[in-house]
Amino acid sequence: MIFYVIRRLLAAVPTLLAVLTLVFVLVRIVPGDPAIAILGDRATPVAVAALRAKLGVDQPIWSQYVDFLGKSLTGDFGRSMVTDRPILADVAAVLPHTIDLTLAAMVIGVALGIPLGVMAALYRNRAADIAARMLSLLGLSFPVFVSGIFMLLAFALHWRIFPVIGNANLADPLDRLTKLVLPALTLGIVMAAYITRVTRSAMLQVLGEDYMRTARAKGVPWRRAVWRHGLRNAGLPVVTVVGLYFGILIGNSVLTEIVFSRPGLGKIIVGALNQRDYTMLQGLMVIYCFLIVVVNLLTDLTYGLIDPRVKQA
Amino acid sequence: MTFRQALLAAALSFAVPLAAHAAPKTDLVVGMAAQDIGKLDPHLAVSTIDRTVVAWIYNALVRFKPGSMSPADIEPDLAQSWEFSADKKVWTFHLRPGVTFQGGYGELTADDVVFSLTKSGDPKRSAFSADFAAFEKVEALDKLTVRITLKQTLPSLLGILTNYSGGFIVSKKAVETLGDSFASKPVGTGPFAVASLTPNQSLELVANKGYFRGAPKLEKISYRFMPSNASRDLAFQNGELDVEYGISDQTWVDRTRKLPGAVVDVFEPAEEAILHLNMAQKPLDDIRVRQAIAYAVNRPELQRWQGPTVSRMPASVIPGGNLGYAADAGLLEFNLDKAKALLAEAGFPNGLTLKVVHTQLPGMLAGMQVVQAELKRAGINLDLQVVEHATYHQMIREDLSAMVYYSASRFPVADFYLTQFYHSRSIVKTPTAVTNFSHCTVADAEIDAARTEPNDAKQIALWQTAQKKITAAVCAVPLIETLQTWVHKDTLDYGYELKGSLSLGPLITELTQFK
Repeated sequence: MIFYVIRRLLAAVPTLLAVLTLVFVLVRIVPGDPAIAILGDRATPVAVAALRAKLGVDQPIWSQYVDFLGKSLTGDFGRSMVTDRPILADVAAVLPHTIDLTLAAMVIGVALGIPLGVMAALYRNRAADIAARMLSLLGLSFPVFVSGIFMLLAFALHWRIFPVIGNANLADPLDRLTKLVLPALTLGIVMAAYITRVTRSAMLQVLGEDYMRTARAKGVPWRRAVWRHGLRNAGLPVVTVVGLYFGILIGNSVLTEIVFSRPGLGKIIVGALNQRDYTMLQGLMVIYCFLIVVVNLLTDLTYGLIDPRVKQA
Repeated sequence: MTFRQALLAAALSFAVPLAAHAAPKTDLVVGMAAQDIGKLDPHLAVSTIDRTVVAWIYNALVRFKPGSMSPADIEPDLAQSWEFSADKKVWTFHLRPGVTFQGGYGELTADDVVFSLTKSGDPKRSAFSADFAAFEKVEALDKLTVRITLKQTLPSLLGILTNYSGGFIVSKKAVETLGDSFASKPVGTGPFAVASLTPNQSLELVANKGYFRGAPKLEKISYRFMPSNASRDLAFQNGELDVEYGISDQTWVDRTRKLPGAVVDVFEPAEEAILHLNMAQKPLDDIRVRQAIAYAVNRPELQRWQGPTVSRMPASVIPGGNLGYAADAGLLEFNLDKAKALLAEAGFPNGLTLKVVHTQLPGMLAGMQVVQAELKRAGINLDLQVVEHATYHQMIREDLSAMVYYSASRFPVADFYLTQFYHSRSIVKTPTAVTNFSHCTVADAEIDAARTEPNDAKQIALWQTAQKKITAAVCAVPLIETLQTWVHKDTLDYGYELKGSLSLGPLITELTQFK
């Protein structure tokens, strides 16, 4: 197992390098001068040129690339071009908020999505199935900036159970939890909708398999056959979707972060892109890529737990 | 008396005095439309987000009376008095004694002022260096006396030295000690000091108890970064915000005014949206085409669209309220027939199409789309190339657009706007470029002459002539002036009447308090 993990981590190195190169090129081919974005519309060409020199963006592109790669490999992501603050410190300050939201949304998504999907498959084309499919469609149809506002209107303004501003004090567990509920529900519902659909379709396929019929013929109770034999075999596609979605959630929770006024990685990425903050974008992408690699690795390891054949392969 | 009555009486006996003596709130929560703060070095603070809060942290030699942005209301701040030579080229400022910097950085001296103004004029350390181009030297005569020598007289030296942009005074020791970190750990002499910054979340400020005008009545300010307009509104409605950055839109103003306890502030400066016509490009080099565009713009319609509370119709090529503003600049009034006739005369009887680079920023895009619809009625089609905002700024500075829709306000003395938008030295893609997108050169003589004109009345007359000439040449077509819009709780007293603020947000002073 340890060798497997090490092999997978080593395999991620070329991916990481490719992503670094791609990010480096992409942020530079997008038009827009960071010096103008930073200095505003009253800056003279002399000031703009001076800032470009200070930021190093007047250097040849290959020189910038070598510098960037060298520093990234030693874990030195530098300082933000716009705020002059160390990038790692900024990321470290918001990362707990992103992890809280992503994990909570995932728990809600799995806790709602898997039972709903199984139920929909078991009661195919009956009221429960139709209800689950409709709920899933609703979950997918509402963008988070709409469902988020509805949540705020209902739970913050009408019933006054939760606050509108979701920027929690990390040192206070109760505050952290209170301010997590609404954003996690908003994001978790979308995830639950996806998982419901995937679970339903995987379960439908599994329920028709020979081994399910054999299990029933051998006298295994229906409930046990479904949860032990059916769901376990339907688990691979579900885990794949959960893994993929988890990775997407880390960076894509930006709309939820904006609606609930929460700090987070997604919000930093959008801000850095708007201001052409190359160094911040590069640093974020490296960190984001690393997180995705870890999530993918965990997903692969989960495959082995669900289906021993994967481990043997 | 039953046990229940006794209990109630006991409860009331506690509650009544508590209610009577309940201390007013001393912590202020402000919601700003922002992802994060940028730079808190005042000479590099260019966005509304940064400028609003910078004005609470720093002072300048002189300041606008809180709530005003009229040059007539400039009053002493860190300087308690000043005098100038007969030719107004040598100015001597006497500093207020006993002013201390926040964070234990010591007493303000003339060295800090010399350091700050020199830094403001250095393009490597300031975004406002152009304002200081006329400075020959700044020197400390003694611990509390500073002398500024100018290469040429300025229309408003005091304007440059106010609590706005490059005029803010920083601690020399703090800048040198903190280096790049100064941008997030600022040290000023103002009523509030930065306590902590949580990226993407909030900036926390505490009262500067040693503030030279007296300890602030508020203890703390939490400046929250909340980019979603809807979420800010809901948080204000829910009582979680005391002050909120608003939207310059009539619907928002009408809706917000109906909220219980909400006071909507609409104040100066107005940002004037202007269509700068690129006279270096065909067919806009033909004045008849430019006049046709001017006749096709329907300003009353634009004002109806934006809303009468938050906007007003411009009368000149610089914003109203500027010293030297010409209220009778001679703008061409909406006349579709004249527009079509002029186009035909210029050789475009079937209309024409212009390629225009524009930003995707929602407010500016919506405004441009209204203008696009208006011009279309005259047969002028705008082929809008909508790009991301930073890209737009780069492309318009590379002279790639036939016309540029630009919304801005400047220090309210005509020289600033006229120089930056209409003087030949400011033409884009030149070594001294600022924001002259139209390549206008018709009023150079008047703008230059006004700058050194010692007689106030003659100076104003020159500025007004410049505006009339620019208007007659149709270098630009004024569209609409939009005012700043915020909202605050009625329990909050700013300590002054908010009519204007050059920092674009309400000034929080030592007198600001909850009632």
